[in-house]
Amino acid sequence: MPTENPFQDPLRFERRVPECVVVIFGANGDLTKRKLLPALYRLAYDRRLSAGFAVVGISRTPLSDEAFREKMLEAVKQFSEDTKFDEDVWNAFAGGLHYVAGDIGDPALYQELATKLAEIEGSRHTGGNVLFYLSTQPSQYAPIALGLGKAGIGKGNGWRRLVVEKPFGHNLESARELSDRLHEVFNESDVYRIDHYLGKETVQNILAFRFGNGIFEPLWNRRYVNHVQITAAESIGVEGRGAYYQEAGALADMIQNHLLQVMATIAMEPSASFRATSVRDERSKLLRSIRAMKPDEIRENTVPGQYGPARIGGQEVPGFRQEQGVNPESQTDTYAAVTFFVENWRWAGVPFYVRTGKRLPKRVTEIAIQFNKAPLAIFGDTDGDGTAPNLLIVRIQPEEGISLKFVSKTPGSGMKLRPVSMDFNYGSSFGERSPSAYETLLLDAIIGDATLYTRQDMVEASWTVVEPIQNVWKETKYEFPNYAAGTWGPAAADEMLARRGHVWRKP
Amino acid sequence: MGAAIGATVAPDHILKELADLWVSLGKQGEAEGGAGVLRACSMTLVVLAEESEDFSGLGETMAALMPEHPARTILIRLRGGEERTLSERVYSQCWMPFGQRRQICCEQIEITASDAALADLASVVLPLAVPDLPVIVWCRSARLVDMPEFHAIAAMARKVVLDSAQMPDGHSALRRVADLARRGVLLGDFSWTRLTRWREMLAQVFENRRNLALLDHISKVRVSFGGAYEVLAWYLGAWVLNALADAGVHAELSVTGTTGGRYLRVKLEGEGLKVELARSDDRLAIAVNDLSNVTNLPQPTDYLLMREELGIVRNDPVFDRTLASAARLAYPTD
Repeated sequence: MPTENPFQDPLRFERRVPECVVVIFGANGDLTKRKLLPALYRLAYDRRLSAGFAVVGISRTPLSDEAFREKMLEAVKQFSEDTKFDEDVWNAFAGGLHYVAGDIGDPALYQELATKLAEIEGSRHTGGNVLFYLSTQPSQYAPIALGLGKAGIGKGNGWRRLVVEKPFGHNLESARELSDRLHEVFNESDVYRIDHYLGKETVQNILAFRFGNGIFEPLWNRRYVNHVQITAAESIGVEGRGAYYQEAGALADMIQNHLLQVMATIAMEPSASFRATSVRDERSKLLRSIRAMKPDEIRENTVPGQYGPARIGGQEVPGFRQEQGVNPESQTDTYAAVTFFVENWRWAGVPFYVRTGKRLPKRVTEIAIQFNKAPLAIFGDTDGDGTAPNLLIVRIQPEEGISLKFVSKTPGSGMKLRPVSMDFNYGSSFGERSPSAYETLLLDAIIGDATLYTRQDMVEASWTVVEPIQNVWKETKYEFPNYAAGTWGPAAADEMLARRGHVWRKP
Repeated sequence: MGAAIGATVAPDHILKELADLWVSLGKQGEAEGGAGVLRACSMTLVVLAEESEDFSGLGETMAALMPEHPARTILIRLRGGEERTLSERVYSQCWMPFGQRRQICCEQIEITASDAALADLASVVLPLAVPDLPVIVWCRSARLVDMPEFHAIAAMARKVVLDSAQMPDGHSALRRVADLARRGVLLGDFSWTRLTRWREMLAQVFENRRNLALLDHISKVRVSFGGAYEVLAWYLGAWVLNALADAGVHAELSVTGTTGGRYLRVKLEGEGLKVELARSDDRLAIAVNDLSNVTNLPQPTDYLLMREELGIVRNDPVFDRTLASAARLAYPTD
């Protein structure tokens, strides 16, 4: 009996997608409506899903399958930003949408789900493959996993995978505890911790850029790189999520997960292959090489911030403490800047400056690798533009691309130099639409490719470096607000770089 | 920018015109308050088309291809006739990515050549090719494929793309394509490219473990076609047989056609399994035993076909093998 599909043609076909059911817990939530269903519809539109593909939505609100389909139809029409709505594609896709109502703490819900999955397996030949997607409060992750286990649907005759959204714990201990609970039902290899930053095309392109080209890797070390700046700036405030954000803060919300993962991708050693295990091993090794700082180092190398009110573009903008649901004396960080050091031979002594914040001047995420200056200013210009160091900028959003800044002669007589930029714009160089991060990551999880997902050891390594910072910040009373909305953060963050002779880029 | 030079075209002159073009584009971009222009180039694309073709439609296809496959395009208008004429003009194809201030531009060179001047064409095109980047020839003229001058042009190319469905005699078209492949030309044939989505959908049927388990029950493969789809039908039949053979399954193939209509249908039959794919309008109907599904499959445009071929500038082992098998099956006495 054949075990391999002989009709596959990897040169021309898209990746193989097995038959499966995606079970979404939290099917009435914002993430499902804004991201998950539009991403799945887009995959169906692009013929990336198998004919028997099905979705089971789970939430507390009683709804029929038909009512759930209607709701999702509205969501797809509203939130599929760059996808044409096709009635026939929707009808074929919607035929596989089902709904089960119930309370997550109620064992009857899982029995009903088991019955529904058996029905779907019979009618749509899904081979027993199920992807459970937890789009719920983090406190519900463990109860759901245990509920699935008790009902016997955590394992089956096909594969069973569990996708969880961040935060993966709120410190090292809670992250470990969460993993232990999930592992009671699912093997670590079947747990997919989603970090949508890693699904972005440019973050994946960092790997292609570094390991697909021969000319950059020899420069990628302490000998040539002066320092690295990673910036994730948002121009908006907490947008009605003040109560939630107050508990998290910028450090835990952005740096512990997204930005440390990005930093690991930039700084990791080349992996032996592009297999998930190899890439994740290297990323994990890098995270474990980041120095966990002592309290006195933390005061020197980190800066928390909180935005205050300001007038931007003629409009009054409230400070964080004036946002709805926020404690007027809140000590939450809406800005965080940290200098990390990687303790390995490649990066010893090279500062990695990582900053993120809300209500900064613009929405931008980028990585800037600043190389050392030319060792001698032979053109006489000792401190002008002519001695500007080379910069490699990897833009993650809003315009994905890569720029290399270098020095060139100004046209005309004399030897005047000026920096110029060589740009690669991801969108315009490949006119093709880039898939959204959720399309990429959902498809990866269905296919069983965990390369872009976070593993437990990575989560623990991140908390190991972030938790001491969190502790020092909690013990200290800061004079907040310390930056006005619409500015590039607190002055202390500039001073942190100035101590090493560096300056934040203004992206 | 451009000049008709009567019966001769000097590549050096064209290169000078290209350099002048960039200077003027740069000045124009800055004068309009933009940030200059960005030159993009990933290959040299030589397009050979009969002058009777709809050049505005072809221009739109080229413009659509450029953002993804920016190229120095050398468009050769084949005028026919015995009087020796050769002329050229140089221009650019630019686009402004949404939300940006800088235009991205590609170079285009248009050369008009009569049949009598075809022998000179390779010597003009070769110096115009961008160094270190692949040369792709897209031959839209079925007539040219049979002319001896075509081989000199094909010899410059990393890959030659043609459309056997446009060749006048469907039955001999496959032989002509196979002959080119035997001469060592790396080929792309739109008749094969048109089958990609079909093949993908058929492959998807066997991603299901139940269907895969029944694969060795398949004993018959029937392909039927209408009109210009004869080459597609042979490709499809040969590809299915090869794939089955790889899995140790030996089935019988029948390919039948009618002269009218444009249709294609494939059936794989065996004990306990019947798979059928058939197109109707812009839909592909897939039936597996009693389960059927319909998926969106619009007729691929030249833009979509060429876009796929430009994405594969290398040997395509599945196509090479299918082409050889299809020719053997279609012409068993050759």
